[in-house]
Amino acid sequence: MNAITDDDRTYDVVIVGAGFSGAILAKELVSAGHTVLILEAGADHGKTWETYRSYLDQYYLSLAKTPNSPYPDLPTLPSPSVLDITAVRGTEPDTNGYFVQRGPLPFGSNYLRAYGGTSLHWLGTSLRMMPADFEMQSRFGQGVDWPFGYKDIRSDYERAEWEIGVSADAEEQTPRALGIKTSGKHDNRGYFAKGYDFPMHSIPSSYIDGFFARADGMPIEIGEDPKDTVKLKVSRTPQGRNSTPRKPKNANGIPVGRKMRYQFRPRGSTGPFAYMGQRCEGNSSCIPICPIQAKYNAMKTLEDAKHIRKHHMKTITQAVASKVELAESGRVSGIVYKKYSFSGVAQYELRRAKGKQYVLAGGAVENVTLALASEICRTSGELGRNLMDHPYMMTWGSAPEPVGPFRGPGSTSSYANFRDGTFRDRTAAHRLEIGNWGWNFATGAPNTDVARFVEQENLFGKALRDKLYHDVQRQVRIGTMVEQLPRSTNRVTIDPAYRTPMGEYRPVISYDLDDYSRAGLATAYDTCTQIFQRLGIRNHTAYNPSDAGYFTYDGRGYTFFGAGHLVGTHRIGTHPRNSVTNDVMRTWDHDNLWMVGAGSMPTIATSNPTLTMSAMAYRASRAISDAVRKGGAK
Amino acid sequence: MSQHDNSPAHQAFLTVSAALTGYNSAELQGTGCTGEYWHQFRQVLPEEILNRFLSHAQSLGQGDDDQIIRQTYLSDRCLGPIARSLIQLWYTGQWVPLSQEWRESYGASRFDVVKIISTRSYKEGLVWDAIGAHPMGAKQQGFGAWALEPPRKREAGQ
Repeated sequence: MNAITDDDRTYDVVIVGAGFSGAILAKELVSAGHTVLILEAGADHGKTWETYRSYLDQYYLSLAKTPNSPYPDLPTLPSPSVLDITAVRGTEPDTNGYFVQRGPLPFGSNYLRAYGGTSLHWLGTSLRMMPADFEMQSRFGQGVDWPFGYKDIRSDYERAEWEIGVSADAEEQTPRALGIKTSGKHDNRGYFAKGYDFPMHSIPSSYIDGFFARADGMPIEIGEDPKDTVKLKVSRTPQGRNSTPRKPKNANGIPVGRKMRYQFRPRGSTGPFAYMGQRCEGNSSCIPICPIQAKYNAMKTLEDAKHIRKHHMKTITQAVASKVELAESGRVSGIVYKKYSFSGVAQYELRRAKGKQYVLAGGAVENVTLALASEICRTSGELGRNLMDHPYMMTWGSAPEPVGPFRGPGSTSSYANFRDGTFRDRTAAHRLEIGNWGWNFATGAPNTDVARFVEQENLFGKALRDKLYHDVQRQVRIGTMVEQLPRSTNRVTIDPAYRTPMGEYRPVISYDLDDYSRAGLATAYDTCTQIFQRLGIRNHTAYNPSDAGYFTYDGRGYTFFGAGHLVGTHRIGTHPRNSVTNDVMRTWDHDNLWMVGAGSMPTIATSNPTLTMSAMAYRASRAISDAVRKGGAK
Repeated sequence: MSQHDNSPAHQAFLTVSAALTGYNSAELQGTGCTGEYWHQFRQVLPEEILNRFLSHAQSLGQGDDDQIIRQTYLSDRCLGPIARSLIQLWYTGQWVPLSQEWRESYGASRFDVVKIISTRSYKEGLVWDAIGAHPMGAKQQGFGAWALEPPRKREAGQ
């Protein structure tokens, strides 16, 4: 057994994880005058131009351009990969990836263990939740209610939107403007605070969005009640990527989180780098890497935090948090971490970080494996349970004319109509995202088209060129993301039989889709079919029983993938018996320990979780700051 | 990698490549990848087969290229698979290995493995031009370009 060396310095706050949440927490806490240490298991990807550039080259050279493909996957620090996912058969778990999959369905999502976290490969979608999403139990008898409502988090949404730099226009984003028949009468009122607007104007809609908008106004029956019929509408999606900064209409500025803000200043890439905050220039590779960092990533916020008070913030990368240690009082006394010098070599030094307050911000799965390994937060029995994702189903086809795919951000618009409605008492809400990259996600286009035309259709020369133009220009795809309910059996556990080469526990995952989500997917498929029929799109969708994510509902088969939205494993709540933390993310069991991130969300709703997770980080940061100031035990 | 390889073999390689891809020799050289691809091609093919492959170049460009390509290349047990790998190399920058059957009949090379030849070859894949787009992650078209009408089809040499 190695001896553990204590770090010299004791910090006000020790944060595990340098992703979305860790970055916002660090920036807020340093701004409030506290000292912060961040432990990050991965390496620093943004230190120099060369580092980041080398990831871009790795992307070019990757045969399968998966979300994690540009970034190193170290045997010492594995990240889950979408290539590892296979169908789970029988009782033997599938262990070929980092996750140990117990099934019955494979959990298809991934994340990135690196400085900046999964923000390095997110798409940039920055949606707020709907008011109904906080009241799933009282409105629909499904899932649980949150311990607070939409209005309680609204000002933190504003802060998060201005930190990420979200491009959208408020008047286009109210539930009514999106064409949603909300389940509550007053949900539209005050969705945005008076005078509020996003820091940058909307990202322009793609030509494909315009093509789909030709079906706007088409009625779709969604519930039993004819009153529930909605009128289709293509609406633009708020995105965390640079467009044109908004000039405030009012000389006093725009109210953001109870402070007035003036014109937003877009940030460029981190490190000494040539790109100093340009608008998105349409590289069409947001997932997995934005070459110029016009898309937000958490390294930008971390950079800000360092500049606010240099000596207040320290980051240690290549430091794998291994155990949360408790004093007899039940308070956390330190975090033991493994500091490795060489990427990929499982040799490390054992060290102990010390602080007054401790925050786990390593993501919904890593937070849980660390907490389970440390045998903490056990009272509720909820730790690791209620794992949720957005089961992601694709429908694709050929448009009757060229629509210009493979240009611009991955998606610029969606059908948001089905994000709320009275149908949610039996069918999951969902959002239909319009893809801008043809069949890329669905079939591996355009490379697979080349292979098929050459190898099977025996084309060459001009005929091959013509066929490629003809077919690929017509490729359209809709991605359905459906909500999941919290289920205690969808969970992350650990098992001493499964460890990494560094001796850390690998996540063991049990996962399934319930009928509520399956009904949502089936309904969405029918809607897509109707849209295709209306627009003359020839349906090419194929779901194969041999697909890893194949499932059936009502006698029909579908295939789903993960959306990378890992939610729910250490949820907030009202009582130590129904939740892991309280509503400001302090653990019920350990007075100076906090768990922050998408794992805090009690339900997933239909919004990509990043914006909500970021807003919640503001909520937690205020409480943590108070706790540091008060000091000592309760 | 030689930038100005005027050897008859290299010229023949370009002539056959042009007939197979539907892009003219100047367009192919414009990718800056001819040297790398010629190198890869020579590393994979036994010399005698390479010579056979290139020997038909002189009959191209005199009228009925389509028939020559179908007859002497695509439907030939030995040259067909090579031609199909070469088309895909130009279009995607990626070498598609020959089949096990082909290797057993004509000879195996340790360079005959699946790979993207270089970062440049990824970006210069002809497929992106053919579909009227740009390589994902490179040669970006500028803010808002995705809102414009789809580009028209471009013919060879246009």
